[in-house]
This record gives sequence, C-alpha cells and structure tokens, in this order.
Amino acid sequence: MKLLTISERLGMVNYRNQGKSQATPHIKVNTDICNSTCQHKCTTMVCPANCYTLDEMNKVHFQFEDCIECGTCMFACDQGAVKWSYPDPENGRGVNWNFG
Amino acid sequence: MDDKFDCIIVGGGIAGLSAALTLAKANMRFLLIERGEFSGAKNVSGGVLWGNDLNRLVPNYWEEEDAGFERFIKHRRLTFADHESSFSLDFKSAHYEKPPYAGLVVLRSKFDNWLAGKVEEAIAASDFPEESFIATNILVEEVIKENGKVVGIRAGEEQFFADCVIIAEGVNNLLTRQIGLQDDYVPADYMATGIKEVIRFDQKVLEDRFQLKELGGMSNEFVGASITNGIEGGGFLYTNRDSVSIGLVLSIKDMREKLKKSGKSIYDVLNDFKKHPVVAEMIEGGEIVEYSAHVVSMGDMRVMPKEIYADGVMLTGEAANLLMNSGKAIQGMDYAMHSGILAAETVVEAKKAGDFSANTMKNYRAKLENSYVLKDLKNLQGAVHLLHDKTLMNDVPNLVCDFAKQFFTIKNEPTEPTRKLLSRSINKHSSYMDLLKIGLKGAKAL
Repeated sequence: MKLLTISERLGMVNYRNQGKSQATPHIKVNTDICNSTCQHKCTTMVCPANCYTLDEMNKVHFQFEDCIECGTCMFACDQGAVKWSYPDPENGRGVNWNFG
Repeated sequence: MDDKFDCIIVGGGIAGLSAALTLAKANMRFLLIERGEFSGAKNVSGGVLWGNDLNRLVPNYWEEEDAGFERFIKHRRLTFADHESSFSLDFKSAHYEKPPYAGLVVLRSKFDNWLAGKVEEAIAASDFPEESFIATNILVEEVIKENGKVVGIRAGEEQFFADCVIIAEGVNNLLTRQIGLQDDYVPADYMATGIKEVIRFDQKVLEDRFQLKELGGMSNEFVGASITNGIEGGGFLYTNRDSVSIGLVLSIKDMREKLKKSGKSIYDVLNDFKKHPVVAEMIEGGEIVEYSAHVVSMGDMRVMPKEIYADGVMLTGEAANLLMNSGKAIQGMDYAMHSGILAAETVVEAKKAGDFSANTMKNYRAKLENSYVLKDLKNLQGAVHLLHDKTLMNDVPNLVCDFAKQFFTIKNEPTEPTRKLLSRSINKHSSYMDLLKIGLKGAKAL
C-alpha cells in the first residue's frame, strides 16, 4: 500500500483550535541547550510529529503546532531542555483523536 | 449541598472512568475532570483490553447492540520475522466466542466515550444524581495540599475540594510528579513510544482477509530486528470492525541510541514495518484514516512511582506506570480498569471510616498487591527483562525463520537430518550457549 510522508500523516490529525491565529505553546524548548551541549539531538528523530527539526547548519528548531501530545520528548530529552505541559483546552493546540 | 466532594478524579480515561463508575454505584459524590472535549479524545492505545473486568463494571455489556468495542479476541498470533519471512504461533478457538470475552479490541475515542456514558447512567441512578459530575474540557494544573494532605485541585482560576483525589492522568503524569510521588524527570530507560495507524478497509474485504466471523477478531504481535529496525520493541496488528490498528512500540532509550546511526526517524521505522513483505500483504489496499502516537510504560517496575498513595490521594493506571508486557499480552487498559475500581473501593471505605489519610489510602496498595495487577507485575518481572534480551529480540526470530525456510522447503534432493538443519541455523544466527542462557532465564522467569 501507499506509504505516507510525515506531513501527509499529520494532515490527517484533527487538531484543536485550528481557527485561532495565536495558540499558546504547551511545550517550551530551550534550544540553546540542544545547540550547545547536547550530543545526540535525539528529539529530532524520536518525535512522531516532527516538531523538532534540524536545519542545514545542524541546529535544532522546535514548533509546538503539530504536537500530538504523545510525551516522547519529555522522556527522551535527558538534557533538561524540554519543559512539557498539556495544552490549554481553550487557547492551546493539541489533538482530538477520531479513533485513538 | 456540601461544598466538598467525596472524591475528585483527574482524568477520564479507563482508570478514571472505572473509578467513577464504582463510586457512582456506591452512592458517592464525585467530580471527574477530563481535559479533552470528551472522554477518549486524548487517548491512544494499541489496543486490546484483556480479561473481563469490564463485565464487573458493566454486567453483560455484550448484550448491548454497540457496546463501545470493535471486536472480541478469537484469534491470537505471535509472529517471529526475519527480513523476508514470518514464523508464527497461531491460536484460534471457538471457545473464545462465549462471553464474557477474554479480550476486546478497542479504539479509545469510541470506547472511553461509551464508558463515560455508563458513568452518566450510574450517576443518574445513584442517590446523588445532581451532585456528581463529569466535567470535560478542563485542564487540572495543580493538586492542592493543606498540612501535607491532598484536599483538592486547581484548574485555571477555579478550585475544587474533596476528601480525596484519584489521579488517573495517564503516563505523562505531571501531577504525580508535582506532589512528589515521582521525580520531576523520569528517564527514558523503561519507557516506549507506541506509534500507529488506523487503516480502513471495506468490511467484507477485511473479514475475508483475516477470516473474521461476526464480531470475532484477531490480535497479532510481531518480534524481530527486521520489524523494528533493530530497536528494542515489537509490532502489532489488531482487527477493528472495518479497519486495522497497526503499529510499533519502540523503546525511547534505544531509539535515542540507534536512530542516529540509521539516519531514520521514528515514522520511517513505521513505514519500514509496513513495507515488510509479510506485513505489506496484510494491509494491501487499505486507506489510512488516522496516524497517532503515545508514550507507554514498558512494564519494568523500576520506573514506578515511589508510592501509589499518600494522604488524601491515590494513583491509578498509567499514572502509576501500571503496565505489563510479559510476552503473553500487553496489558495496560485492564490494569487501569482494575486499579481504578480498587482506588474507588478504598474511597468508599475511607468515607465509612471517616479517615482519608494515608492510613486508609494504604489499603489501596494492599488491594492492588492482592490482585493480579501487582502480583503479575512482581512475578513476571523476569519475563519482562527477558523480552528485552538481544538474543530473544533479534537472533531467535532470524534463527526460527532460517530453520523454517529449510525445513519447509522441499527440494527433490536427499533430505538432511532435521537436527543438522537446526544446528546450522543456530550457529548462523546465535549459539547453543546463548540459547541455553535465555532458556535458563526463561525457565526462571516463567
């Protein structure tokens, strides 16, 4: 069967508050840590929603908008760079699973 | 009305709803707070709800026309795979058709919502139909303590108070950490990520492909380095009514160490699994309707909170890392259900005794220790560790597939003795010594 890219997959996710132009981030990442002392930058590989990406300079960037609230980065980051919380139901992003 | 509830439950997943249903039946006044738009909106599982605790909560649930589940388990398969073949233990039995069923394939968005409906019904039938509530779309940010005892919760500007709080917040247990029952940072060592797709088929096509009759269903687990790209973990495929849930459970620590070398992301590993020749044929022609992921504990007790109760509070389900993967089944939802029931029973006792301190809450631990939950978790730790053994995860699947290829292939040549074939497979993929070691470990574990 056809294999989907990550953006096609995320395109199927039913995100909350999509109409709002400015959602409040529920995860804060201190990318200074990722881009200075961290040796593995593992969040860029383990995040199932591709919220952590590497640019051509090998620098880590983070965006919370595609987050599916799985929790992987909270456990994977052993450098203290990830401050994880749940999205606010009114002003945050996050998911509404159709199947789950 | 008293301004205080008997109990506040944080989280409307299976643990929280099971606690709520038990409390409602015992005429307790409670508030269940769920952060999703409805129960199930935030939940992801493989998943199979094993055992028949559900029958305790919702007697004869199967008599309902649509009781929230997808299919009952009638057919089980454990598959060892190498890069091109599969060798399976396959068990199908008509005895599974008789309720109460041994396992239910569920999709959480639907199942939890259905169970929440049962809680609403039980509230309406209780002595306090106007004084117990399920409140959705509210995020609990803080557990309130007074003199060291948990007395309520805060959500935004609002505070709610109760004699005790049941935390059923799931594996991303921020409140559990906040009250000091678990460290602020929980390392990845015994944690995994479940990643999956729901793939839809024409129902007739699905039923023909997997030989499903009526609501009978199949669970298939997969083991082997070619399933997970050599990462600790395994694969699964469960049949729903008109779709399959297919995915992987992958150790976060192992991904951290191995993904970089392969240059792959977790979602590439899922695509590789779907491309496996044996798996690809199972899902051919389907349409992906959802992609999802969630952290899950791996069943190692070393990750569990320091304690599962304190003054005025109890931890249930995945908030307490109650999960078991012994190789026989991945059990999490039944543990959530059972722990929710036992926590609620403890609330009822505490109310009777007029004591919600740790002195009564400790009965919750005693109940859990006496139940299959902590008994199995303790007794099967050896099996949990064995499952992470490199020989078993990687070498054995290659070995059995290699042996089967020779054993089941007829060449019109004089046949070599079977023990010779086996010996060659063993030496190619492992060694007698390694097998002896896991054999001994296995004998001890079981």
